[in-house]
Amino acid sequence: MKTNITYLLLMVLLGLGGCTEDILETTPYGQSTSSQFWRNGEDAVAAANAIYEPLINHDFYGHAEHTFDIPSDDQFRAGDHAVDQAIESFTFDADNPQLFFSWRHKYEVISRANAVLINVPGITMDQALKDRTLGEAYFLRGFAYWRFAVIYGGVPIILEADVLANNYNKPRATTDEIFAQIESDLLKAADLLPASHGSADLGRANKGSANGLLAKMYLYRENFSKTIEFGNKVISGPYPLAPNFDDNFRVATKNNPEMLFAVQSLQGWRENNHIIYTTPRPWGGWDFHEPVADLVDEFEEGDPRLDYTVYKPGDIVDLGGTRGPTEYTADLSTTGYHFRKYSSWRPQGGLNMNHNNPILRAADVYLLVAEAKIRSGQSGDMEINAVRARSGRPALTNATMQDLIHERRVELAGENQRHQDLIRWDKAGLVDIVEIYRKDLGPFKPPRNFQRPKHYLFAIPQREIDLSNGVLTQNPGY
Amino acid sequence: MYFHVFRRLLFCSTAIIFGILPGMLSGSHAAYATPHPEASLPTSPFEVAVSGTVSDENGDPLPGATITVLGTSQGTVSDLDGKFSLTVPDGATLVISYIGYKSQTIPVGTQTVLTIQLLQDESSLSEVLVVGYGTQEKKDVTGAVSSVKGAAIQNLPVSGASQALQGRAAGVNVVRNGGAPGNQGSIRIRGTGTLNNADPLIIIDGVPAGNLNDVNPNDIASIEVLKDASASAIYGTRAANGVVIVTTKRGDFDQPLKFSVNGYTGVSNSIKTLDVLDAPTLAELKRERYTNDGISVNPIWENPAYQTQRTDWQNELLGQGTTQNVDLTLTGGNKNSSFMISGGYFEEKGMIRNSLFRRLSFRINSDHKINERFKIGQNLQLVSINETAPNTLSAQTGVLWSAIRFHPGLPVRNPDGSYSSSQVSGEFGDINNPIFTQDTQDNKNTTHKILGNFNAEYEILDGLKIRANIGLEGYVSDGYNFNIIVNDQIRASPRNSLSRNYGEGYSVLSEYFLSYDKTFLDVHTLNFVGGYTTQTFNFEGFNASKLDFIDESFDQRFLDVGQTLNSIGGGKSYDALASYFGRVAYNYDERYLLTATIRSDGSSKFADGNKWGYFPAFSVGWRISEEDFFSGVGFISNLKLTGGWGSLGNQNVPGLQYLALISSGRRYSFGGNQTVGAAQSRVPNLGITWESAQMTNIGLDIGLLENRLLANVNYFIKDTKDMLIAPPTIGSIGTAQIPNQNLGELRNQGLEIELSYRKSTGQFSYTISGNAAFINNEVTQLVDGNFIGSQLYGRSSQEISRTYEGFPIASFYGWRTDGLYQTAEEIQNDPNIANDPRRANGLIQPGDVKFLDLNGDRIVDAQDREVIGNPHPKVVYGLNGEFGYKNFDLSLFFLGNAGFDIYNADRMQGIDPSYPFNMYAETANRWTGPNSSNEVPRMSTKRDNLNHRTSNLFLERGDFLRLKNLVVGYTLPSVLTQRYGVSRARFYLTGQNVFLLTRYSGMDPELGYINNNLQLNVDYAQYPQARTWTVGTTITF
Repeated sequence: MKTNITYLLLMVLLGLGGCTEDILETTPYGQSTSSQFWRNGEDAVAAANAIYEPLINHDFYGHAEHTFDIPSDDQFRAGDHAVDQAIESFTFDADNPQLFFSWRHKYEVISRANAVLINVPGITMDQALKDRTLGEAYFLRGFAYWRFAVIYGGVPIILEADVLANNYNKPRATTDEIFAQIESDLLKAADLLPASHGSADLGRANKGSANGLLAKMYLYRENFSKTIEFGNKVISGPYPLAPNFDDNFRVATKNNPEMLFAVQSLQGWRENNHIIYTTPRPWGGWDFHEPVADLVDEFEEGDPRLDYTVYKPGDIVDLGGTRGPTEYTADLSTTGYHFRKYSSWRPQGGLNMNHNNPILRAADVYLLVAEAKIRSGQSGDMEINAVRARSGRPALTNATMQDLIHERRVELAGENQRHQDLIRWDKAGLVDIVEIYRKDLGPFKPPRNFQRPKHYLFAIPQREIDLSNGVLTQNPGY
Repeated sequence: MYFHVFRRLLFCSTAIIFGILPGMLSGSHAAYATPHPEASLPTSPFEVAVSGTVSDENGDPLPGATITVLGTSQGTVSDLDGKFSLTVPDGATLVISYIGYKSQTIPVGTQTVLTIQLLQDESSLSEVLVVGYGTQEKKDVTGAVSSVKGAAIQNLPVSGASQALQGRAAGVNVVRNGGAPGNQGSIRIRGTGTLNNADPLIIIDGVPAGNLNDVNPNDIASIEVLKDASASAIYGTRAANGVVIVTTKRGDFDQPLKFSVNGYTGVSNSIKTLDVLDAPTLAELKRERYTNDGISVNPIWENPAYQTQRTDWQNELLGQGTTQNVDLTLTGGNKNSSFMISGGYFEEKGMIRNSLFRRLSFRINSDHKINERFKIGQNLQLVSINETAPNTLSAQTGVLWSAIRFHPGLPVRNPDGSYSSSQVSGEFGDINNPIFTQDTQDNKNTTHKILGNFNAEYEILDGLKIRANIGLEGYVSDGYNFNIIVNDQIRASPRNSLSRNYGEGYSVLSEYFLSYDKTFLDVHTLNFVGGYTTQTFNFEGFNASKLDFIDESFDQRFLDVGQTLNSIGGGKSYDALASYFGRVAYNYDERYLLTATIRSDGSSKFADGNKWGYFPAFSVGWRISEEDFFSGVGFISNLKLTGGWGSLGNQNVPGLQYLALISSGRRYSFGGNQTVGAAQSRVPNLGITWESAQMTNIGLDIGLLENRLLANVNYFIKDTKDMLIAPPTIGSIGTAQIPNQNLGELRNQGLEIELSYRKSTGQFSYTISGNAAFINNEVTQLVDGNFIGSQLYGRSSQEISRTYEGFPIASFYGWRTDGLYQTAEEIQNDPNIANDPRRANGLIQPGDVKFLDLNGDRIVDAQDREVIGNPHPKVVYGLNGEFGYKNFDLSLFFLGNAGFDIYNADRMQGIDPSYPFNMYAETANRWTGPNSSNEVPRMSTKRDNLNHRTSNLFLERGDFLRLKNLVVGYTLPSVLTQRYGVSRARFYLTGQNVFLLTRYSGMDPELGYINNNLQLNVDYAQYPQARTWTVGTTITF
């Protein structure tokens, strides 16, 4: 009986042990809740760093964003993404997956920027750091809307107030509204951001990034005086052209001051897939975005930029390791060429995954200003010649739009500009994009039927229209 | 606030009552307790020797029958000739029992030689079913419970009980998610009950924890499946998707030691491979696609070096697998203690090389009577599992997917011994050599688990018991993955890496409950169970990864060797449940039955105010056959009508979703320096709470011909409400995780039928049983009439499944087609594309698919899609036949699914010529001119008409019937084996997946779920099931 009592006592004790509801309390170990975050400058910087992060995703600048330039006459899509063929040939439907790959990532940049803009103002922290953080948020939000605007036109504008009101299913903004938003964000960014950063922060947006993008945005709006005004802020700022064209694409000098904004790649940490995409298969790549002969022929005789833009038969390339210097042969490619701006090999072999993804260079801004000047009846010689001189090209006098169009094409080849440039010029009656795209560029790039105005914009992803329950509307013609 | 205080008081007082009261009662009990009966027995001076023979109804001796003296632990077992002898006290009564026969009670009186003939127990109604927190006789059960006895699933060559359960019980659908070793599949009880986790609650020996694959199937005594609300409401919180209760074997008191050894071994082979093009035909078709498009042929297809057929990649990949199992069981018991100890080793090596499941298991179960009123028991299971699974679910890198598509003109290895590679040409696709992938794969998961409990039962008064049950589940798991440097394959990886992922989890269960059984005035039988339970769930883990191993030798694949740190991470989680439960079962005169259950549950997963849920259920039964007016109906031996209703809960979603989480670890770099960012990883849902399911059940039990023919029919309606789903969200919210919200409603309704017939005549006996469930699944409400999408297929991100209101979960969604355009005139005259700009632009050509314009705008576009198929079988059925003749036994088990569609996505891609891959052999019969084909579109590199978009062209009937198991056994005559001290020796041959009847053209019609429940029966070239033959033996000493 004594044992019985002992056992029962044990049961009683165990029973009382359960006498608490505290067991139902738990906490997110190792993660912060939003109420515990946003305490200090470190949190603010961490939140700002996170805004950049989606840029390098495979579905954004790591690959997908470049696919919006494959319709251009500079390149053949190559690769083995079967859906790309429809993009390149303007036969895509609204449910072509390429159209939605980057959609959410752009909005994620916006969402993270909004979080900073909502929470950082209330943090007590170093004012210069606070300004930089807010400036980065404005710049990146403006940049995301910029990419939306050129690809799709107006899209839903989600700002701080929408986040607080949980208001995400909004109708599309008009073109004017979205450009007004981009302008507003970039102006604030230009105001808040420092002119340059110390070596540990290279790659963050600076004043030059914001002013340069403003110049580009104004040119797309055909506001030439503003293009010149903001472009000159870059030209007269601490953003000199690099001594050599190729410095912009070499790993050692990739963050020179000319590089106003680029997606940063760091091997072993966060890598830029575009490096692999643009490389021939037997050299460790996936063989996308092959330049066509039409682009190669565009380069002036002896223009050194060609050598650093395109791998062409006969080039000797050091693949490192056991392969060492290797000759580029025509059979590595369908067109006979590959882009060179994004690749090099490590001494021990294997692709060097430290190549950045350039988004905006001062050279681009020089040419934007030159274009604005030419189109507004002024001389753009100074700016266009600055770019030409760096590559040993003879100076032009009274450069025309034809000169400018040529210069942009060779200077910025493979940097995701050409298709948008042609659309801009076509809208202004400077080129006939339908004719350009109807040109037969070889068996892999037959004539294509660009329909004006339908193809000025890509289609809004059908999946997003479906998800919005019809709140999102499609672009005309799709 | 007051409510909270009140509940807290109630909580504590319950504990005190449960704890203190029994103690007080036991004190008073001590005052009038009589001495234990067995204490007086051995002292009895009068003893009588009796002997006898036990035989069956045909007069054949029954060896191994148990003879015990009623009220004592004295007893013996009959010998080979059915004879026994023992000494009993004067006036004793003997109980003679044998499994499968009705027990007999015989007062010894003055007899000294007894002849006992046992009758076969034709009534399985005396069967006892394990229900939550107790057992019930089958005749008294008013809920829907299916039971599978361990004997039915012994020695099947399967890795776990869930596979063995497939097709055994009506309404219990085990969906196989491919045939990889150790793949358990998904158990769906009464349909897919929710869009989130629809797995049932698994309870192993009273502990709601663990995994069916952890249990050696040969240790299982029975599996009960609680299907309706009334049966499962006692597990309210977690029962919405049904409850599977596994009970393992135990020893018996007063049993001699019994030792048995069991082993089987066998081989498995692939059932089918797909026909793909040979190298010459492939080159011809590739050339044709360029010629058709008017562009120059890529020279690689003119190169004769790649036009020699060299390799059948599927045959290279799918080799012979092996299965082996050994287990040992020792059982026994004396009058106070009984035990069962077993150890087992199971190993399955899959057909795809380098795929493996290995389990080492050990179990000890024991029961002890401290005295007549105090009993304790324990269960302990130790398991070690080792698994290696290949990637077979990716339509970009899956090994079987790759084998179907890799260039057939490439050898497995080049003459220099290196693996062949598609780096040769972009035309060969970005596929790595699948044999290289499998040969060099080096990943494994190791898990060590402990599952055990300790329980104590004290009988306070006659019929009133208090029970405590303390359970523990714990595990450590270690994931290991080494990736070598790949330079010479197209999907290269220039650096090698090793990642290890280590986690520890444990769960503590404590339960205290009272039970009371009493019959009043002979006709009122009352059974009550009530108590409370808490369970906590802890997990903590860390992972580390390093890059750049200079030496890739196997003895160097350790983190120490890596030169560069890649990542280190770790985390912890804690969840808990606390619940009160009560159940009353009442029966009046064995005619009218009533069961009422309630459970209240608190979960840590929800915010204060939303933590608690209440889940009531009741059911009634009427045993019509017990009524006086029924006694004349002779051929009906049992007739019972039941009906019930109840509400069940589901909280099987990630916890803390009411908080907005900020996660660090967003990697980026500035100036070549690593930086980490922090961003919101999940949007909060402040109001998240339980999902509930309301279920109504009507059942009928019929026994005919002295219960030789049994039928059980159930009709149910199950409505899931406040379904926890992460709603479809527009992209403008970004990529943060969307929390689950209580949004949708879902209805499953269906009819379940179980039938069995058994008969034995002379030396021939047989049992034939069958079950079928007809279930209809429909989403009755979803957010704003919107849909839930699911995983996109392959490189082209094709959408295949959508979940819409008014349709079943995961319906197939796409375009409808009407053959191929045969002529240009047909295209010009087709009203479907009258306004379609693609026609004007010449983008549609003869040999392209004719898609139907469904919305009437005469353009074929995204608006012309609709639900085109249903992946859920209308009927899932099983048929089982067991035959015995003399020493031979034979069992056949068939499994079937009917009335459902499969989306053959692998074929959709397999006949699409715009991909740089090998194609299905049927493309040799492609369209080449008018009326050459109406099914396989023309060859083209272009996708202008998107011939291979998601459409009914790739929808197939999935119906199948497969002979899942075939077992032939022979038991040596005991006269032979007895000589060597062997009481039983049986040899057997089993076949698994012996044959398959289906019109489905893919490898295997059992494809399973992808993306939780949002995609079902889509063919990704999953790991197919194998045909397995094993031979084995069971020897009992």
